[in-house]
Amino acid sequence: MKNMIKGAIAGAAMLAASMAQADDDVTLQLKWVTQAQFAGYYVALDKGFYKEEGLNVTIKPGGPDIAPAQVIAGGGADVVLDWMPSALASREKGLDLVNIAQPFKSSGMMLTCRKDAGITTSADFADKTLGVWFFGNEYPFLSWMSKLGLKTDGSAGGVTVLKQGFNVDPILQKQAACVSTMTYNEYWQIIDAGLTPEELVVFKYEDEGVSTLEDGMYVLGDNLKDAAFKDKMVRFVRASMKGWKYAEMHTDEAADIVLENDASGAQTEKHQRRMMSEVAKLTSGSNGALDVADYERTVQSLLQAGSDPVITKAPEGAWTSEITDAALN
Amino acid sequence: MNWLIYALIFWLASWALNVRIANSAPSRFKSILVPMLFGFSLLGLWEGLVSGFNISPILLPPPSMIAARFASSLPILWEDFVQTFVKGALSGYFIGCSAAFLTAIAIDRSDFLKRGLLPIGNFVAALPIIGMAPVLVMWFGFDWQSKAAVVVIMVFFPMLVNTVAGLSAKNEIQNDLMKTYGAGYWQSLLKLGLPAAMPFIFNGLKICTTLALIGAIVAEFFGSPIRGMGFRISTEVGRLSLDMVWAEITVAALAGSAFYGTMALIEKAVTFWHPSQRS
Amino acid sequence: MTSRTAALRRIWHRAGPILTILAVLLAVWYASAVALNAAWAKDKAKRADTVLTFSELVSDTMSQDKPLLPAPHQVAEEIYKTTVLKKVTSKRSLIWHGWITLSATLLGFAFGTALGMLLAVGIVYSRATDMSVMPWVITSQTIPILAVAPMIIVVLNAVGVSGLLPKAFISMYLSFFPVAVGMVKGLRAPDQMQLDQMRTWSATKATSFWKLRLPSSMPYLFASLKIGIAASLVGAIVGELPTGAVAGLGARLLAGSYYGQTIQIWSALICAAILAASLVALIGLIEKITLKRMGMLS
Repeated sequence: MKNMIKGAIAGAAMLAASMAQADDDVTLQLKWVTQAQFAGYYVALDKGFYKEEGLNVTIKPGGPDIAPAQVIAGGGADVVLDWMPSALASREKGLDLVNIAQPFKSSGMMLTCRKDAGITTSADFADKTLGVWFFGNEYPFLSWMSKLGLKTDGSAGGVTVLKQGFNVDPILQKQAACVSTMTYNEYWQIIDAGLTPEELVVFKYEDEGVSTLEDGMYVLGDNLKDAAFKDKMVRFVRASMKGWKYAEMHTDEAADIVLENDASGAQTEKHQRRMMSEVAKLTSGSNGALDVADYERTVQSLLQAGSDPVITKAPEGAWTSEITDAALN
Repeated sequence: MNWLIYALIFWLASWALNVRIANSAPSRFKSILVPMLFGFSLLGLWEGLVSGFNISPILLPPPSMIAARFASSLPILWEDFVQTFVKGALSGYFIGCSAAFLTAIAIDRSDFLKRGLLPIGNFVAALPIIGMAPVLVMWFGFDWQSKAAVVVIMVFFPMLVNTVAGLSAKNEIQNDLMKTYGAGYWQSLLKLGLPAAMPFIFNGLKICTTLALIGAIVAEFFGSPIRGMGFRISTEVGRLSLDMVWAEITVAALAGSAFYGTMALIEKAVTFWHPSQRS
Repeated sequence: MTSRTAALRRIWHRAGPILTILAVLLAVWYASAVALNAAWAKDKAKRADTVLTFSELVSDTMSQDKPLLPAPHQVAEEIYKTTVLKKVTSKRSLIWHGWITLSATLLGFAFGTALGMLLAVGIVYSRATDMSVMPWVITSQTIPILAVAPMIIVVLNAVGVSGLLPKAFISMYLSFFPVAVGMVKGLRAPDQMQLDQMRTWSATKATSFWKLRLPSSMPYLFASLKIGIAASLVGAIVGELPTGAVAGLGARLLAGSYYGQTIQIWSALICAAILAASLVALIGLIEKITLKRMGMLS
């Protein structure tokens, strides 16, 4: 009896102690389903990097119909991952999204084409059918096409665009000459399906000079006025980047952590491990801080998108180095 | 806050008015006026709540904004309507319903087939067929053909089950009467079986109108050309143009109601003799 | 002996046609699998510079990793692997995913039935409700809710309603309609004579509702419930599509589609079908028992 009371008191004391320094809650909304593209965050969670910073992080997986910007506007998340073109377009719609960190240095987006469809250079695109992702991911493609001077409305001499579903079927079944792929994901699905690299031509957005910044961390500008929130973000960015750097060093372990967290049970180890090693190439160039030159290039490419530009004027206050400056020192 | 109070007062007032009208002597005009009034009061409430609670238009735009968007993007809405409704839904509806109708007539003569197909048809009609959409898009390509295919499969079984049930609706006495007249199979089908089946057939046709529209729109989520109502809805959500999304929803609701209404009118003209159409 | 053969004949009379048609469907399925998957097999062989014999071709079409149409035994094998061989708590177990979908379905169905019954009572007893709400109840079903389900889920998620509730909301929207319509029909089923009789017994409105209208609406209610629960399941599955492919049969469908894993798609589809059939059968059973107890079933 005595012991029980003692135990209860000790338990209550521990509870009180943990209450006193309760971790700050942070909710992160991913851009897509749980996969190695987001390994850094899962590693930071799994390895306790967030815990060390006194954060209690919840990671919400995304999906084909989830717009991170909409989630943060409704207060469903503190931080969202988004691509810069779509984030800047949301800004023009009146949603004050601010980039606080940019773990992805290079773009992994490319257009993968079949050689037997008659494509060897970008000059061959005219009058072909190209598969494109929409839902805010079409902007880089549109600005590239307008740079090439190709119309996307299906008229003669232009290209026919089709909205690609969630997979690479259009190229396998020859419904499209090219499909959009990421270096770390869909490209390998094509290879897995039986086409060989020799049968394919790839156009990396990075090589074509039309690359835009991908997975960045965005928060609402209003929240940044709050010192407590800022402090939370500094710790969040620091722990996340620690997670990313760990994932780059230990790609197989990181992929396994991602698999552990995949609730759909649909991911395979082979695919995730390969994805992780490809993703590591894209993140390795960044310590988390946004490179202003990259930002300017993205903005220029979006502004120049021909008759139907993605954004109409250069945005102001769309990024801040405050968080990363404090986090990475 | 004021907005909220106005909206509530507006809604309560129109409800009170509705109760008064509804309890007065009925007339044809009133039976249209009352639901209209109710609909408008709901729109008013919506507008008031959105303004009152300061809800971001990225989450839920007010009706006025949707109406403005609707008016300014008529050409796009029309293009999407043609792609999804006329090409996808209507052609699939037509093919699916006629195929089911012909199948029903074919199996009506065979008791064996009827006993085998009906339980299976009932089973399939209850299935989440919409799950077949990604598979059919894979098979039939991206354009409207795959959407029509989804619609065909969605409407086939409800239509089949209803038509078969309808063809068994004639009773023995009527059947015997046809025999005493010396009517052949086709004659008695045309003069007795089909007319007797009409209420059931139209029940199936009406159910299928909404299924057709849903099938055509949802199938576009799994791959489509860059027009169509489903394409526009999913793309504009991504672009945070929720006013455009709701404009498309309005088009879908209008098209769906008109489609259903047309079928109901044809039913009235064809089955004027049935008890449910009198009164 | 004769009674035994008679019993057998009766069973054959009922099950024979169904089994025959199922066998035909299975044969068609196999034939389509060969036809649809042949192009890929030939393409692969051509690129490898080999020529396939017919039997090689057939066996290849039956064993592809990502076939256009998987053969029935491939699907059966996958279902067996993901139900019997996996722990129920495993995220790769179809039973686990089925349970998630089922719980949203049942919750939505309960909401939908309650809403449908309330509406029906309101419509039968209030003229104003009848005139103003009924047309909109019908219109509500012409809005392709399934098409905008993703958006509704995201908006509800954004304002903090997440988990089961948003999915249950879609299920409710789909299932309240048949219940309301069936219930209105049922509550109005007693004819004038019966209503007059209640009045001669000076029954109150409440008594005549509990003793006459409600009991006589039961057959209509059960017919509607069967449609309603099937609709609920569809709602729950579609509601799962956009929630980030987290869990549930709908998420399996989506993830399968995203990674081109057709065998996984088909096994999720078949599981959904089995679930739908069992739910409808369950309602049918409850219907039989209830109506028997009420003496409405001979």
